[in-house]
Amino acid sequence: MNSHSISHIVAEVVDNVLVAPNHYVITFVSPYLAEVARPGNFVNILTADSSDPFLRKPFSVFSADTDTGHVQLLYSVVGGTTKRMAVKRAGDTLDLIGPLGGRIFEPPSERSVTHIMVGGGYGVPPLVFLAHTLLTDKPNCKIKFIVGARDADLLLCLDRLDEMGISTHTSTENGTHGIQGRVTDVLTPMIHELGHANCFVYCCGPTPMMKAVGDLCLQTGVSCQVSVEVGMPCGVGVCMACVIDLKDGRRVRCCTDGPVFDSAEVVW
Amino acid sequence: MVNTKVVVGKLSLKNPVMTASGTFGFGSEMARVLDLGRLGACVVKSTSKEARVGNATPRVVETSSGILNAIGLQNGGVENFINEKLPFLRTVDTPIVVNIVGNDVSEYVYLAQRLSDVEGVDALEINISCPNVKHGCDFSVDANLTSELVSEVRKVTALTLITKLSPNVTDIVSIGRAAVEAGSDALSLINTLVGTAIDAKKRKFRLANITGGLSGPAIKPVALRLVWQVHQALPSVPLIGMGGISSATDAIEFLLAGATAVAVGTSTFVTPTSVIEIIDGIEDYMTTYGVADVNELIGAVTR
Repeated sequence: MNSHSISHIVAEVVDNVLVAPNHYVITFVSPYLAEVARPGNFVNILTADSSDPFLRKPFSVFSADTDTGHVQLLYSVVGGTTKRMAVKRAGDTLDLIGPLGGRIFEPPSERSVTHIMVGGGYGVPPLVFLAHTLLTDKPNCKIKFIVGARDADLLLCLDRLDEMGISTHTSTENGTHGIQGRVTDVLTPMIHELGHANCFVYCCGPTPMMKAVGDLCLQTGVSCQVSVEVGMPCGVGVCMACVIDLKDGRRVRCCTDGPVFDSAEVVW
Repeated sequence: MVNTKVVVGKLSLKNPVMTASGTFGFGSEMARVLDLGRLGACVVKSTSKEARVGNATPRVVETSSGILNAIGLQNGGVENFINEKLPFLRTVDTPIVVNIVGNDVSEYVYLAQRLSDVEGVDALEINISCPNVKHGCDFSVDANLTSELVSEVRKVTALTLITKLSPNVTDIVSIGRAAVEAGSDALSLINTLVGTAIDAKKRKFRLANITGGLSGPAIKPVALRLVWQVHQALPSVPLIGMGGISSATDAIEFLLAGATAVAVGTSTFVTPTSVIEIIDGIEDYMTTYGVADVNELIGAVTR
């Protein structure tokens, strides 16, 4: 849980860099957000200077540096909001609400566990933030990272993971990098090799991928936390648009009851 | 120092800005965002006798300058409200208004009675105008049914009663008059306008429920006209105006049209602190234009 105040922030953009085809990392200044944002938290961004798009769109926090007050988001240009984000330059402003999210990534405290991050597409950035936070808190913790994409060009954050000294495994659907296939083709032998009791999986990516990873973890008895992606217009738990169903019969909000859930409790 | 106090029924509001039901949760959600004590009143989400899970998703879509929603009154039921939500609301220094919704007259009466028995509820808003549930609007389109419902609820509660009117009617004045003559202390208007949205590429409706309620700046001119129209016909009845209010200027326009108070709804979805910015903005307007008492603005529009 993150119980810090949610603020309306108009932040100054530091830079906005193309990191992969159609994917950018935007850096902005917000000492408050840099201080309180935790892995799994997100911000809701409004870029409209008219009222189109009318609603804010959610973006996971990619990095937060308390020394500089810099916060980064990695995004893919898919619609009106991200098109407008892509033309932001140093000195422009970014209008956001944050930090958002009720339940966020909750790593287990056992030292023996290997933290396995499984990211697909722009689901990778929040897991990079999680890995960074884990390494900062416990420099000797064991982390493995699986990054999947359709094509080698779309494998995100490999440089950043390399700088962090994290062993990264990749899968591409067309075989242009790493294993040809899906992230589960990498994860299955990894769980087998490490032993299911020693693994703890965190997953973020397209819904079919999270379902596949969740199913695999359920079958092999591995705990798995997923960050669910749905539209979250208000982000603060009042519009009731972002609901998903859980196996215990509850219909919950992704924004404040999640966005991170135990994969075993989600009705996909 | 300007006076921003207004009176709605037995409620004395420190300022005329309330929240619109269904856009502010049960209050506690917003405690991480703003100081609820600053609100003129806090109107919480619709509460029914039994819990409701609401409609399937997608439940909200963006449209030009607004949204269509078809949430379907998801809530935990009145006992859950009393046990889980009300204790927090009792700590908030502002009147608490509970929006009630039932399947028939007896359920509204049950809710009114139950909520009058507990401490911490200051007023009831009778929701006769939800467009997203079966029979949700049956009452709001018929003056006789509205009259029957409000008079039965009136018999069992001494709390301030506010009836929330639908814009999806031929003659809103006749419905409003029926509610007031049956004992409603005030009227709130407007609920959402029924609409739909279609994805041309997929050739599918964009809402799982097909139709939804339109809200946001797109409906403001319609809401403003209806508030003015009802105020002309029923000048002594306190009106709570709502529909697309997203700035202090919008709020002032509703007061000028005849509203005693206003409610901020969809704007909260875009910027959760919007309601506070509007409260501050009204004071700024009063200072700038030399308005000593906010009540001077009510119905003060001229040709």
